[in-house]
Amino acid sequence: MSPAARRVFWLRLAIALAAIANLLALAVLLRGTPLIVTVYMFLGPPLFLLGFVVLVGAILADLRAKELL
Amino acid sequence: MLRRGCLSLVPLLVLAGAAAADEGRAPPRLWIGTTEQWLQGLGIAFTVLDLILLAVAWRSLRVGTETRASRAWLLVAVGLVPVSVAFLASAHGLERSTTVASCGSCHLMTPYVADLQDAKSETLAAVHAKNRYIRERHCYTCHSDYGLAGTIQAKLAGLGHVWRYTTGAYSLPLHIARPYPNARCLECHGESVKFRASSEHPKEDMPDFLSGRTSCLDCHAPAHPKAKREAAR
Repeated sequence: MSPAARRVFWLRLAIALAAIANLLALAVLLRGTPLIVTVYMFLGPPLFLLGFVVLVGAILADLRAKELL
Repeated sequence: MLRRGCLSLVPLLVLAGAAAADEGRAPPRLWIGTTEQWLQGLGIAFTVLDLILLAVAWRSLRVGTETRASRAWLLVAVGLVPVSVAFLASAHGLERSTTVASCGSCHLMTPYVADLQDAKSETLAAVHAKNRYIRERHCYTCHSDYGLAGTIQAKLAGLGHVWRYTTGAYSLPLHIARPYPNARCLECHGESVKFRASSEHPKEDMPDFLSGRTSCLDCHAPAHPKAKREAAR
């Protein structure tokens, strides 16, 4: 896998994680049954955080590859 | 596309803001909805906005049209907007979990909620509901202790209920986990003149009521209709 393809993979992973968390949040906001709220509380915020960490990791790796860091 | 996404927020915000009371009476002047309705409306708007931003970012990566601006939007979509979404969804979820509708969504609670809403019922819960002694969140108000510790304890207990309900790890008829504490009744009634002046609450017995040695439910039962086996899964 080329460095560019790897960077795109990590960025897409960050997007996918944020999208899943958003869908869980939407489910809570539209139909907040106890089960959906519980699942969201355990998975939603950690997925958002993980997505952000992956994004920051991808940005740092990109900057390092371009020898800017 | 981004402009379209932002425009889609407008009707959602209008809907959230304009939502009026659903009890058939005219809303107060300058009514713009409840805090909870605004939390929900804003939450939906931010979530839809974030999904649109994520779709745009994904697309820019796919077609190789990545620009500095699209990278900035990616940072907004993954790093910034989610903070609002997480806060609004969590706040709405926690608020919603205290409603009677939320408790009633578990079919085991159906007879209890039906009794609560039955104007002819004389159970303690129904009397509190029909006379509006408690205006809303009847289950949560009486089944959680007051203060932050009470809220945390109630959430943990709720988590246990969801687990047991989902896995079927419960037995019928249902029983209250611990003896009902007087403190929950006395939080409202304790300082009321009616309670203090009642001949049925003589002064000499007051220490027993306040300490919980004599349960309020000894005389004021039943709080709910008798648990029925018919509510089985």
